[in-house]
Amino acid sequence: MKLAIVLASGELEKVQAASIIASTAATFGEVLLFATMDGLMAFKKDVVENKAWKAGELGKGMIQANAPLFVDVLKQAKEVGNLKIYACGMIMDMLKMSLDEFVDVFDDVIGVTKFLGMVEDAKVLFI
Amino acid sequence: MVVVDARGSYCPGPLMEMIKTLKQVEVGEIIEVLSSDESSAKDIPEWVKKAGHELVEVKKEDDYWRIVIKKLK
Repeated sequence: MKLAIVLASGELEKVQAASIIASTAATFGEVLLFATMDGLMAFKKDVVENKAWKAGELGKGMIQANAPLFVDVLKQAKEVGNLKIYACGMIMDMLKMSLDEFVDVFDDVIGVTKFLGMVEDAKVLFI
Repeated sequence: MVVVDARGSYCPGPLMEMIKTLKQVEVGEIIEVLSSDESSAKDIPEWVKKAGHELVEVKKEDDYWRIVIKKLK
């Protein structure tokens, strides 16, 4: 199974869900996670350090419960399965950002055309 | 037998810890996973079947589950 996830939301609950689906799927097949829009911003170092995600009751509860959050879930998944994580090039260009400003989970920065080429034969989830 | 004590860890933690161990051991080895997360206790047997290993036992203990699997390949 080849699965691609477009993560466009930065809400903690959604980012967390994406990370759990991605990590489990990566133990069976190839998974590509494309972080764009607010979904990319959730990975900014300062946001992660301050746990400053947009979060509802559940998300706040997850932070309070000290549950492993998506960065750790994704790092663990990379050790165990076949998971590649890409940052959206458009956002990086537009905001003049570099991967140094994000936590260390990204494999590369890619554009939409490249992403679409990579996922031609994949199931795609939009989160 | 190898014991993976993943109690206190949330989904997908116990599954990931089990797979890490599964990769390291020899074929035929028995792995016992302890998980206090009910969703993992349901999900691990599904994973084991799908991945082609043997589910030996799933047992509810006091406040955790004991999932015993055998590496088949």
